[in-house]
Amino acid sequence: MVKKVNKIFDHKWASTLLWIIAIIIVWEIAACIVAATKRTPENILPHLYQIVAAIFSPKEVSSGMTAIMIVLTSARATILRSLLGFLLGIAAGFLLALIMKMSGLLEKMLFPYLMLIQLIPVLGLAPIVLSITGDINKSRIIIAAILSFYPVATNTLAGFKSVSRDKYDLMYTYAAKKRTIYTKVLIPSAIPYFFTGTKIAAPMAITASILVDTLQGDGGLGCMLSQSLKHAMSIYVFWLIVFFSAFIGILSTHLMSWIEALISPEKRVIRKAKREDRKMKAAKAPEAAKDYVYDRRARMCSKRRS
Amino acid sequence: MKKRTVKMINAVLAATMGLTLMAAGCGSSSGSSSTGSTAADTTAPETSAATEGTTSTASGEESSGAPGDVMSSEEIIRKASGEGKISNWGIGNQYEILALLAKYDLPLEYLSEDFTMDAFDDDTSTLASAMTYNELGLVKNSYDGAYGYGDTVGYIDMNDEGVAMLEDNIFCTKEFAAQNPETVKAFLYASIKGWQYAVEHPDEAAQIVYEAGSSVSQDHQKYMASEVAKLVETDMNGNTVTDIGKIDDAAMKQTLDIAQQYVTLDDSSAQEAFAALTVDDICDSSLYDAAMASTDGKFNVEKNEVSIQLKWLPQAQFMGYYVADAKGYYDEVGLKVNIVSGGGDISETTAVNNGTVDFGVTWPTNMAVANAGGMNLVEVAQIFQRSGMTLVYKYDNFRK
Amino acid sequence: MAQTTQKIKRPKTLYQRFKENSKAQSAATIVMPVLLGVVIVILWQSQALHHLLRTNTFTLPLLTRIGEIFGENLDKIWDNSVATMTVAFVGLLIGSLLGYGVAIFAALCPRVGKGGLTVIGAFASIPVVALAPVMNNWTKDVSDVASVRSMVAKILVVMLIAAANMCLNAYRGLTELKPYAMDLMDTYAAKKRTVFVKLQLPNSVPYIFTALKVSVPSSIITAIVSEYFAEYIIGVGRQIRENIVLAQYPTAWAYIAAACLLGVAAYVVLMIAQSILLRRYH
Repeated sequence: MVKKVNKIFDHKWASTLLWIIAIIIVWEIAACIVAATKRTPENILPHLYQIVAAIFSPKEVSSGMTAIMIVLTSARATILRSLLGFLLGIAAGFLLALIMKMSGLLEKMLFPYLMLIQLIPVLGLAPIVLSITGDINKSRIIIAAILSFYPVATNTLAGFKSVSRDKYDLMYTYAAKKRTIYTKVLIPSAIPYFFTGTKIAAPMAITASILVDTLQGDGGLGCMLSQSLKHAMSIYVFWLIVFFSAFIGILSTHLMSWIEALISPEKRVIRKAKREDRKMKAAKAPEAAKDYVYDRRARMCSKRRS
Repeated sequence: MKKRTVKMINAVLAATMGLTLMAAGCGSSSGSSSTGSTAADTTAPETSAATEGTTSTASGEESSGAPGDVMSSEEIIRKASGEGKISNWGIGNQYEILALLAKYDLPLEYLSEDFTMDAFDDDTSTLASAMTYNELGLVKNSYDGAYGYGDTVGYIDMNDEGVAMLEDNIFCTKEFAAQNPETVKAFLYASIKGWQYAVEHPDEAAQIVYEAGSSVSQDHQKYMASEVAKLVETDMNGNTVTDIGKIDDAAMKQTLDIAQQYVTLDDSSAQEAFAALTVDDICDSSLYDAAMASTDGKFNVEKNEVSIQLKWLPQAQFMGYYVADAKGYYDEVGLKVNIVSGGGDISETTAVNNGTVDFGVTWPTNMAVANAGGMNLVEVAQIFQRSGMTLVYKYDNFRK
Repeated sequence: MAQTTQKIKRPKTLYQRFKENSKAQSAATIVMPVLLGVVIVILWQSQALHHLLRTNTFTLPLLTRIGEIFGENLDKIWDNSVATMTVAFVGLLIGSLLGYGVAIFAALCPRVGKGGLTVIGAFASIPVVALAPVMNNWTKDVSDVASVRSMVAKILVVMLIAAANMCLNAYRGLTELKPYAMDLMDTYAAKKRTVFVKLQLPNSVPYIFTALKVSVPSSIITAIVSEYFAEYIIGVGRQIRENIVLAQYPTAWAYIAAACLLGVAAYVVLMIAQSILLRRYH
């Protein structure tokens, strides 16, 4: 019996489930307390089933749309804007990292300012960007781009720098051209780092887009969030948006992992290794397969110990 | 080592089971507590009928209609101020409240209201700012999203207290007005016509706004339209307005006086410029007068396509423009008008000043402050003739 | 640098000499950013930047103007900065400790703990805006004093963000050990506690700083954003918002500058702490 339970908990999803259940329980207990003590509990902490019910509620909330329709239509606007901004941002971030790698002087010149950009509050930028672009949509795309730009640029640069001396030496023995070094060594080894950057940037782009929505109006999740919070429509729209934005934030990170798994050679190797030889010696695994290796090592160690 | 793992797993299992039990317990209690909310849910469909009832009674009621055992306005303000429970949104909305506090020699302090009236709901704030056409309705009425206090709340009207300031107007830059006088006249002519129609038919106007892309529930939209109509056709002294949209010099003077007394800017040069402003610096009635003098509504417009930046999202607060658009009044004067919705912190003064849009809707105070900061804006019409600002309170909190 | 090995026989160009001279390099680290800074200042002050961005001195006031207002309102800016900093710092501290605690739990009993990492990681993806107003409602009963409960609400938001960040990084620090370090410990027959104290904890220190490097700026920004929704009116963020709505751009810029200064100061402190601590361990 215990062994069976043990086995179940070997899977990551089982413990995740446990945590989710724990959170749900805590939420529901709190919701019960709130329901018993407050006049309008749905404004503070509704029961989860009430939120779920709001998803399927056929009642029109505003503009002839049900709650979930409002969430989805405004989500489309927000996601589209943040996606555009995100793509712009990561492209710019990657290019900048490349330029900074090519010229040490430029790196020295730009890096402190890269840090500074991260420290400027988004809201400070919003109206100024708006006054420059003169268009709400453009301004939001640009803000999402600025925010996703930083993590990608710094991480990719770290990736370029992680290339060990041996690899350069090897390329020199081949008398490889500078271009070849970049395309064959530098860029491939920077890709995992680049994806680390995008994994941070993706939810940031969405958060930024939502935040600017709340500040500038004209549709989008953030706009509806503040409207429903102002009680201009059912408060459940607010709760749906809270959950939905958390959901797309998480989804965006996972999406990046999937894309990484699809296109990066290292990950393909790992999958292959996992499939073919589950008991492969950890030390032999390719260097880039760090997570997997240590994961397995930890597990092997614990097995050995017991 | 193995034993330890087993122990741990056991402990976790025990904990899970304990939690599950608690959840079950909670489930039963939630069953009992949820009867309240289900009851509310079942009444929801009926409220559409009931709402109209509450709406009409709510709108017919004046602050003087409070039950006899409730304190006077002054006592209420003194009590709430003493407890530090007066609230306002700040961000340019607070001057009437500051003037009111100053009127009774009270400390000029207030809590910050967030988007919601939740603070009022749970008595964190007992005297909360509410616009007649928006928050007040949400507090009183019982449609989806509203708080449903009905007749258990009263409010203090800034117009009655003599500290009212003017709100929604129409403005543009001085250059635009100078270069496109006919366009401005045409726009005013059609917009005022739209407002006149909207004020006479608030329900139809609400429907037009609702169809134009609303961010507000239909019930609330209707309530808002009826309340906005009152602000447009009644002035600060309670008299009926004969010329909708005409700039009332006395009311404007009062607005600017209060603003100059209570607006504090960190920028000292802007503060000086602001203190020196006069009504003539920010208002120009000539275009309105010329537009209204037109008998046939024909204008030789310089610019066919114009845009107007609203102060907030599409809602009945701006019904006049939507009506003028839907009824074709803008087409009649040869204009194609693009209504740009605002919302959040979008700064309508900035948008107009940098030429993103041609016209804007804002409060004279915001416009005057922007001018003090270096903008060159001018008000061409004053749509709301009285203040929509009130302080709402629960009778129960202020019994004698 | 590596590239030079290729051309080792050729006479060195001036550029290469410059590159290999460590003194020149460290000088460049300081000189280059300053140079760019000066260029930006000149572009800004001469309004060339305004032409480039097609904007005016109204939304992008001249630096002298911003500086003037900054100087005029030092007291007020200081008060607001202290409020923002308190929120950011306390939230960061509690959040980081909490996150580290969860990471230790996850590292010691991975079976149950790993799921917690996933869940906490999810918190990092929740938009702050959505959290801030909710927190306001949840903290209503904390205190009767508006300034206190509003500060608690802001701290809670910062805390969540910092905790998520620290937890994920610290977990990696506690588990991603050097190859064979674990085997070595096994050959010593080291107790689990010893392994934890002697190997895992020190190993996680650099990761803590990795987390803090992200957390410090993000906790300041989170504090600023949550101020927009706070009940009690104070803080750099609130001032930025008020001034922008009132179209007082020079003042808003002065507060934006204050926010940047706060971030830079916090970052510098972090860097100094890192160099001291890491020298001890590594």
